[in-house]
Amino acid sequence: MKRVSKAVALSLMVLLPMVGHTDDKDVVDYRQHIMKSLEHQTAVLGQILSGAGPAENTLAHMETLALTASVALKSFEAKVPGGAAKPEVWKDWADFSKRMKEFADKSAEMAKVGREQGVDQAAMLVIEALPCKGCHDVYRDEKKL
Amino acid sequence: MLVYRSQPYSLLEPRTAALYSEGNVLNRSTALPRLAWAGIALAGTLLPISGHADDQDVRDYRSHVMKTLGEQFAALNQISKGKAPAADVATHAEVLSITAGVAKVAFTPKVLGGEAKPEVWDKWDDFSKRLDEMVAAANDLAKSAKSGGVAAVTPKLSSLSCKGCHDVYRVQKK
Repeated sequence: MKRVSKAVALSLMVLLPMVGHTDDKDVVDYRQHIMKSLEHQTAVLGQILSGAGPAENTLAHMETLALTASVALKSFEAKVPGGAAKPEVWKDWADFSKRMKEFADKSAEMAKVGREQGVDQAAMLVIEALPCKGCHDVYRDEKKL
Repeated sequence: MLVYRSQPYSLLEPRTAALYSEGNVLNRSTALPRLAWAGIALAGTLLPISGHADDQDVRDYRSHVMKTLGEQFAALNQISKGKAPAADVATHAEVLSITAGVAKVAFTPKVLGGEAKPEVWDKWDDFSKRLDEMVAAANDLAKSAKSGGVAAVTPKLSSLSCKGCHDVYRVQKK
């Protein structure tokens, strides 16, 4: 029995470092990849709607926004302060998560309308679908960007 | 053979273009005020009101596209190493695939600058072929992610070899 236990312990010591381990920096990095993607996709949509980007890509960017928004809240679930996220994210989690869910739902609706009714119709939903500033004013530390 | 367009982008659908036909601010803002405001609010800056994509717009657009690819690829790499939620793998692979699909349009206007070397347009056939290969690899990755999750994605990440293309066509960061 002792020999088996030793063998298991030894195996774990060898194998554990090979298994991915998520530390705080990974958590911050991951949510930053998501939020930066959202920022870039929002910017290109803004360019397109202002006539300063290729209109034929409108739906593609609506889709990527909606997809990325769908995983954004999860990336904040681990309470790991850092990056540009203010501590208020976790202090006021009920409000923050409500806003993020609305953002995900509304951007998904925008992409759906884009697919089914065309991007002209979907463009009318853009302001409602992307209330970035309202959330950033409360939950993002601009000095840490 | 690729023929570059005289204007950077075919910006507006015929119906929208008609609404903007006089090209003045009043006409534009009365025709589609919400669209105009959306553009201003979203970009966070005052973009050209004329509805014309200038060279900086072209550079900005392709930079946003390429940076999105970089962020998504980085997220997938984290996931493949067990450092981010495995449940999100198909979502990121899908975003990568869609974004890869619009990259060529972003480079089609021959507008030098940003991180793109002039070789992009000097050797357009090669650059464009590499972009097509990236799109095919990204599409394959997205399919694999949906059906096989992280285990199916990890071995395929190397097929999206950004570096090979960046070494030739991207200005090296100092």
